[in-house]
Amino acid sequence: MKNLTDAEIIESVKKGNQADYAILIDRYKNKAFTMIKRMLKNDFDAEEVLMDCFFKAYNNLSTFKFESKFYTWFYRIVYNSALTKLSSAKRKIENEMSSVDDLHFLQSSYNADDLVKEDLSLLVKKIVNELPPKNAAVISMFYFEEMSTEEIADILQISVSNVKVILYRSRNILKEIIERRNLYQEVL
Amino acid sequence: MKNFNDDMLNRYLDNELSNEDKNSLQSSFENNPEIKKRYDALLITHNLLKNVQPDLTSIDFSKMVMQKISKRRIIEFQQKRFLFSVLSLFLIIIVGILGYVFYEIISTIQLSDSSKTISVYSNLVGNYFSVFFGKKNLSILGSVLSLIMLISGYFLYDYQKHSKKNFSH
Repeated sequence: MKNLTDAEIIESVKKGNQADYAILIDRYKNKAFTMIKRMLKNDFDAEEVLMDCFFKAYNNLSTFKFESKFYTWFYRIVYNSALTKLSSAKRKIENEMSSVDDLHFLQSSYNADDLVKEDLSLLVKKIVNELPPKNAAVISMFYFEEMSTEEIADILQISVSNVKVILYRSRNILKEIIERRNLYQEVL
Repeated sequence: MKNFNDDMLNRYLDNELSNEDKNSLQSSFENNPEIKKRYDALLITHNLLKNVQPDLTSIDFSKMVMQKISKRRIIEFQQKRFLFSVLSLFLIIIVGILGYVFYEIISTIQLSDSSKTISVYSNLVGNYFSVFFGKKNLSILGSVLSLIMLISGYFLYDYQKHSKKNFSH
């Protein structure tokens, strides 16, 4: 069963095999959770929103016409739900639109001595967490979900060149943080 | 010599530079250690990001989602059953009213001998309905119907509220 494609699983669910939907959940839950957590910066909220996303996707499965891949459709739900959560939590929407060039706080967020002691993967996650939601979402989809820039553009409903701009800027700022903290020595 | 900014380095990293720019950049790496150093830093960042492990949801996450879906289906089924019951009740009342109207119509028509048996039965039914829907009982019936509608509405609202509350937990 686990080798079934997304389309086959959806067809099965549409035919009434509700339990098969669990395969889709297992397939995408951790990757989607990684992205949503990077956007919301909070485990509890991330899991709650993700649960709603899977539920929304299930309820709207009948409208899914296989014109796009399931995961791009699903990630669009995830991304939009995360944005809704952010705005409903009255967080500053400017964060979403702000440029990484303005994020001076990034340069003084961490103490190098503390950082180098941490697990590298955790450290990188921590740095990505400091990016604005849209940048964090792009980094997360590109690296953690291994999506192409075209797929990301489709999910975020922006142009591919805009995705690249966000990706490059995010990468540069992460590079700067790592460089300033002399973390490369730890990596190499 | 061409000035390679971070944007160009990013594009080189993603293999999006033209062959000409690519060759030019590669020769810059040999001649300009500063550019090479910047690229290496970017490459390390790229590799660091590539090796990040995904975050994990709670162990019973899938189970919780499936439970939520199942619960929703049960609620929908119960709501449908409730609506069906209320609609059935109104349907019975409508059939009764139509029966009475039908009786009133056929009682004004002269019937042949062969129809007398039917006439007797329809008279019986008609009498029953005429008593039931008589002027005296009509206001009572209206009040009872209104009360039923109000009670149904209240229970439906309460039920929806209760279901929504349970569902959100």
